[in-house]
Amino acid sequence: MQNRLERIFWSGFGVIVIIYALIPVVWIVSLSLKRPADLNDQRFFPSFISFDNYRAIFEDAQFPAALWNSFGIALIATTLSILLAMFAAYAIVRLAFPGKKLVLAGMLAISMFPPVSIIGPLFNLWRSIGLFDTWTGLVLPYMTFTLPLAVWTLSAFFRELPWDLDKAARIDGATPFQAFFHIIVPLAAPGVFTAAILVFIFAWNDFLFSTSLTSTNAARTVPAAIAFFTGSSQFEQPTGSIAAASVVVTIPVIVVVLLFQRRIVAGLTAGAVKG
Amino acid sequence: MAEIALDRVCKRFSDGTRVLNNASFRIQDGEFFVLIGPSGCGKSTLLNMIVGLEDVSSGEIRLGGRVINDLDPKDRNMAMVFQSYAIYPHMTVRENIGFPLRLAGVPNADLQRKVKEAAELLELSELLERKPASLSGGQRQRVAMGRALVRDPVAFLLDEPLSNLDARLRVQMRTEIGRLQKRLGTTMIYVTHDQTEAMTLGDRVAVLNRGEVQQIGTPRQLYRTPANLFVAGFIGAPGMNFVPAEVQASKIVLPFGEARLPESGYALSNRKLIAGFRPEACSVSVMAGNDDSSVVFRAPIDVVEWLGAELFVYSDIDLPREAATKSHDMFNKGRITLITRLDPSTQVRQGQSITLQLHVRDLHLFDAETGCNLAMTEKRLPLTSEKAR
Repeated sequence: MQNRLERIFWSGFGVIVIIYALIPVVWIVSLSLKRPADLNDQRFFPSFISFDNYRAIFEDAQFPAALWNSFGIALIATTLSILLAMFAAYAIVRLAFPGKKLVLAGMLAISMFPPVSIIGPLFNLWRSIGLFDTWTGLVLPYMTFTLPLAVWTLSAFFRELPWDLDKAARIDGATPFQAFFHIIVPLAAPGVFTAAILVFIFAWNDFLFSTSLTSTNAARTVPAAIAFFTGSSQFEQPTGSIAAASVVVTIPVIVVVLLFQRRIVAGLTAGAVKG
Repeated sequence: MAEIALDRVCKRFSDGTRVLNNASFRIQDGEFFVLIGPSGCGKSTLLNMIVGLEDVSSGEIRLGGRVINDLDPKDRNMAMVFQSYAIYPHMTVRENIGFPLRLAGVPNADLQRKVKEAAELLELSELLERKPASLSGGQRQRVAMGRALVRDPVAFLLDEPLSNLDARLRVQMRTEIGRLQKRLGTTMIYVTHDQTEAMTLGDRVAVLNRGEVQQIGTPRQLYRTPANLFVAGFIGAPGMNFVPAEVQASKIVLPFGEARLPESGYALSNRKLIAGFRPEACSVSVMAGNDDSSVVFRAPIDVVEWLGAELFVYSDIDLPREAATKSHDMFNKGRITLITRLDPSTQVRQGQSITLQLHVRDLHLFDAETGCNLAMTEKRLPLTSEKAR
């Protein structure tokens, strides 16, 4: 009896949280499917489903370009950030070097730093060295601001791996690099994917850097591009297009998370050492 | 195939702690060499230094005459089995065993053949496609062995390989490891804290304590002529009994009795001594008093442990005050517990007392200050003990 009450309590609570989280999403989807004329009909579900908004955003040159920029920039930033973070995290976990605490504290400080405070200087700097409105100009800040998170996540995973494994690999004839790539990286794969998803989502969702450091379709990403949507006439709000674009940019994130969800499930190290 | 020599090897950590002090010994080619000692004695550190996982602070490690202090572990061609086994969880048994060969760039056909041979030797053939997570402790242990022997190393180094197994499996794997070493004829350095493993497996055993090598010798030598109090107490289960002793004229005086010394022992008078004897040196006295080269004494029975094939009797003996406190710290309490191993058919009960006799030739005499066995440090042997020679 106690058990059943408890189950009802927990599942009831779960349902409430899910509804709370999903209502805005459902609303956006519903808006994106309404005809422009129905936008203000005060209904939660559209009375007539139309894909006009989706057609409209893809017919405009701005949105596909922004989508391409978003993908490219987020993927490059993720790859570089994870690659650097792997080495850094491994060093922090396995090596004793002077200034280790300082590095960790410095990274933590960077991740607490409000990004908006460097936008001004960065804008001037990028303009004078020619990085303004380029992919590099966005990849760099994304990498920088996600590295601390990636390093902290990865070092937590590396710390879980038994050190005996890299020692064993070294004795089996591996160079430190071989031991790292053959043994440590595959075993830390769940951690690598977790960190990668977090970095990707940060870069994908960023609005601040994208809107300040770009000016054309050359590098503007989707969140910034959405802000530049205009209605078909100056008296019409682009609500439908914004909703449709929001749905489109959400899809890749959902796909990525679903795809890697299995890899994230830990337990890969089971059986390495008797425990 | 080569001899491994350690020459005054020391290990100091950066905070100044010395974990190993002037370790010097040679391990012959094909020898089964055991390092034994209580935890924290530096035995695993020593092993890690030989295999190259830890730096040598000073001294030299030579392999076949060549100094290998700064050689990378991958170039030493030594194989190691870890206490935790350290098999790679994301690889199958086949990939695990083949990993050293893959790194060495062995052609695939050779690799598969060697893995197959190793698997047959260790009875792993059925399990080659399995992942470590689905193996039992003993099987994982064998995979670790397989990965070690597949590439024909100059030496196997085993770091407490059996301590994670249950008692029954431990006995079985112990025998298997011994047999395997004899069959392969490869040098093996085996670290353990279990003296049964050391005594049964080792051609020679090095006893370590607090970073110092206490004694190196065959299991027989360690048992019969322990170099000092530590080795005497550490080797043997249970360890040696120690009592304060004194030589007066022609007699040796123990807290519970005295006996006539052979003439060679007279020179020991006026020295602080500690006498040690194995639990099995005592026997139930059948005839009282007429053999003056035995100590005959009454011992109270405090605890009786009957194990079927063995019988242990624990007796608390009070020490005379003046002898007790001055000779050694271990007698501070003023009483000692003697452990004797008697014929299991003996009828004894807790609370009774029993008459025991102890022959003087079964005594080991140690200097109370240095702890050294006088049979090893004195030119003249104090006690002629045929059994020990």
